[in-house]
Amino acid sequence: MKTILTGWFLSAALLAQTTANPATPPMPRDAQGHPDLTGVWQPGSTRPGTWEEANSGGGFGGGPVGRGARGGPPPRPEPAPYQDWAKAKVQESFNLRGIDDPQARCLMGGVPRSSTMGLFPMQIVQTPAQVIFLYEYFHEFRVVPLNAKHPDDLEPAFMGDSVGHWEGDTLVVDVTGFNDKTWIGPVGSFHSEAMHLIERYTRVDANRVNYEATVEDPKVLTKPWIIRTSMMLRPGTRLREYECEENNTDLKRYEELLKNESLFRR
Amino acid sequence: MKFSWLALVCLIAAAGPAAAHHSFGAEYDANKPITLTGVVTRVDWMNPHSFIYLDVKDANGVVANWKLEGFPPNVLYRTGWKRAVTLKPGDEIIVTGWRARDGTNWGHSREVTFRDGKKLFFGPPAGTGDGGNVSPVAQ
Repeated sequence: MKTILTGWFLSAALLAQTTANPATPPMPRDAQGHPDLTGVWQPGSTRPGTWEEANSGGGFGGGPVGRGARGGPPPRPEPAPYQDWAKAKVQESFNLRGIDDPQARCLMGGVPRSSTMGLFPMQIVQTPAQVIFLYEYFHEFRVVPLNAKHPDDLEPAFMGDSVGHWEGDTLVVDVTGFNDKTWIGPVGSFHSEAMHLIERYTRVDANRVNYEATVEDPKVLTKPWIIRTSMMLRPGTRLREYECEENNTDLKRYEELLKNESLFRR
Repeated sequence: MKFSWLALVCLIAAAGPAAAHHSFGAEYDANKPITLTGVVTRVDWMNPHSFIYLDVKDANGVVANWKLEGFPPNVLYRTGWKRAVTLKPGDEIIVTGWRARDGTNWGHSREVTFRDGKKLFFGPPAGTGDGGNVSPVAQ
C-alpha cells in the first residue's frame, strides 16, 4: 500500500519536472502542414516516456485529464448531465458496481470510451485522405475519411460512423450512426441511438494529444456532455493481440453474484 | 493504515472512469486486502484475464490452493512479464491483492514479489471498473 502511494506522489513530482522541460521536441507535421498524429498512444495519461514508466504503479490511466494539467491531480469530471429518468438508470449501474458493463460480455467499447482506456494502446495512421484509428483493446478500428459526408445507408453500429476534417491544428471527427449497446465512458453511462459526437484531437507537442469529445444525445442527456482526456506518445510500443472470448468466465460468475446482490451492492 | 487506504481510494476515484474489461469491484472486496506467500502451481496466460494458482500454507500447515486473477497477456508483456519465463510452477512468490466477496480462496492480484526481491504488477488497483466512490450522476 505504502509503495503504491509513494509511487503516486513520486510520479506526480516527476511529471511536474518533465512537463516543465523546455527540451520537448517539436510537433511533427505531415506534407500538407497538418500536425501528424501517426503513432502509438496511451490515452488517459499525462506522462511522457515509456509504457513501463506509465504502468509502474499509479499510471493506470484511463481517466479524464484536464487541459494543461501540470502535475496536479486530474480535475473532478463534471457530473454527467442525464435526464432524471436516465440518471436513475446510471445510478443503478453504479450501485451494482458496473456488473452490467457491456464489455464484460466482450462487446466493443465504442466511442468515446475506447479513446479513454488507459491500460491499452491505440495506434493512429494518418494519410492525406483518411485517418485510421486502431485500438488494441477489443481489436476495434475506425477508418475516418477526411472532408467526406456520412453515408446515407448507416445501420446502428458499436463504433458509429466517422468523418473528419482539419480546423487549424485540430482534427475534428464527427461520429454518428451508433447503436445503444455501449457506454460513453464512466460506469453506467448509457446512451441512445441518437448519440452524436464531435471529437477534437489536438497535438500540443511531440508527446501529447489533447482529446475532447462533445457528446450530444437529446433522448437521455439534458445538454451536451464534454469528455476530456489526453493521449501520450509511446514510442516503441506495438499493438498486441486481445481476444476477449478466449476464456471469458465473467458472465457465469456474475450470474452467481447476482443471486446474492447484498454481497456487492452499495 | 486506515488513512492510507482512504487516500488510495480517493486517488483511484480521482483517476475517473478507468473501467477495465469487467468490474473487479463487484467480485472482489477492496476492504479485504490479502498478502499471500506460496508456491505457484499453475499460470493461465489468457484473455480476457490471466490467473495465478498458488498453494498457500496456513499457520497449522494446511495447504489451500488460491486462484488469483490479473491482467491479460498483452498488458503483462508490456509491463515486463514473459510467458513461461517470469513465473513458473514451483516458484515461491508473495502476492498482494484483494479477496473475493464470496469468501472463497479467490483473489484479485496486484503486486507479485519474486525470490530475488523483484516486483511486478500482475493485476489492476482495487475497485477497478466499479466506478470509484462517486457516481457519474452525483451532483
